[in-house]
Amino acid sequence: MSSSGGPIDWSPMIIGFAAGFLSRLISIRTGRSHYPGFPSGYISQLALAIIAAMIGSSVIVALVGKEFTAATFLTLAATQFRDVRSTERKTLEQEEELILVSRGAGYIEGIAITYEARNYLAMLVALVTAVATQYTGIVIGLVVGIIAIVVGEIYMSGPKIGDMIEVEPAKLHFEKGSLLYVGDVMMMEVGLPHSRDRYQKEGMGVILTPKGRRGQSVLWNIAQRQAISHEAAAAVGTQKDVGYPEQTPLCRMDMPKGSGRAGLSILPVESNMQALIQAIKNTPVLEAGKWSALTSPILRRKEMD
Amino acid sequence: MADAPTPIMFAIVTTNKEAVHGGMAPVFVAADEPERDRIAMWLCRITNCIAHDLHNGTIILTVNQASV
Repeated sequence: MSSSGGPIDWSPMIIGFAAGFLSRLISIRTGRSHYPGFPSGYISQLALAIIAAMIGSSVIVALVGKEFTAATFLTLAATQFRDVRSTERKTLEQEEELILVSRGAGYIEGIAITYEARNYLAMLVALVTAVATQYTGIVIGLVVGIIAIVVGEIYMSGPKIGDMIEVEPAKLHFEKGSLLYVGDVMMMEVGLPHSRDRYQKEGMGVILTPKGRRGQSVLWNIAQRQAISHEAAAAVGTQKDVGYPEQTPLCRMDMPKGSGRAGLSILPVESNMQALIQAIKNTPVLEAGKWSALTSPILRRKEMD
Repeated sequence: MADAPTPIMFAIVTTNKEAVHGGMAPVFVAADEPERDRIAMWLCRITNCIAHDLHNGTIILTVNQASV
């Protein structure tokens, strides 16, 4: 029973809902690489988006109507979104064994966090917009909604590899008979002549050069490099199958020298250097890669300044 | 994943019998290099292991968790 007496003003709820839902829709479109591109994947996300926007927008209406029980239940519903993250992580972890080039635990965690955070963001945008509409009217509410969506979008789109790392094509070659090099970065030892032939004929390589300290700390992160390999293989394909482990795409640091650069070698299905470079540049920078910027002693080397 | 992988030597294929002594891994002795490469490739494809050439006539096959 509503104790406020007067008719309920629905406009905060409607505008808040629209803003929250829209904010989630935008991130579905821009975050394509984060999600399974199947209709069922989109449907479940849309359903969650509707629920999140609904919760965010109706809290204020419930509070104004002095329906504290309803408001409490809404916050309870919001906590249910915690499960979204572990569900997403579980799905991706199970997929890990089925794909040839794994994403790596760091990338999976990043995707799961983003997935969860975007639902909360939709909720927050809906809440802010609903509050603004409630107290300042529809016009200002609409403006606040648009600002909230834009701010949320800027806040949520993290840096990409291309922002801090230069990606250039490089030649694959073998030294000392069997050591695979990309440019001057040693990748691995390929013992089988058959695989060496294939690398020489069809292999592609790129060199990743950090633009600064941040870029270098990102590259030293092994989870980040696994994510790069995964995105590279997803873009141009990889001639790899069970029983061909040496044909897996690799992303390794320029190691005996420790110059901070990395090389990537891949046996592509489609030899498209443009697509490969673009895919690497669009790989998101993982949150796990952000911590080491100040602590790693190698970053204080003079040549990086 | 972030730890160094633990390679397990799975088999040794060699043309130079004198250079290897037996251990935990079986030793396959080949007559010449093409034969050695053929055996090594065969074993790799069957067991999903990685071949490393020691450049003394010996190829070792290792199972390496991080590279799979």
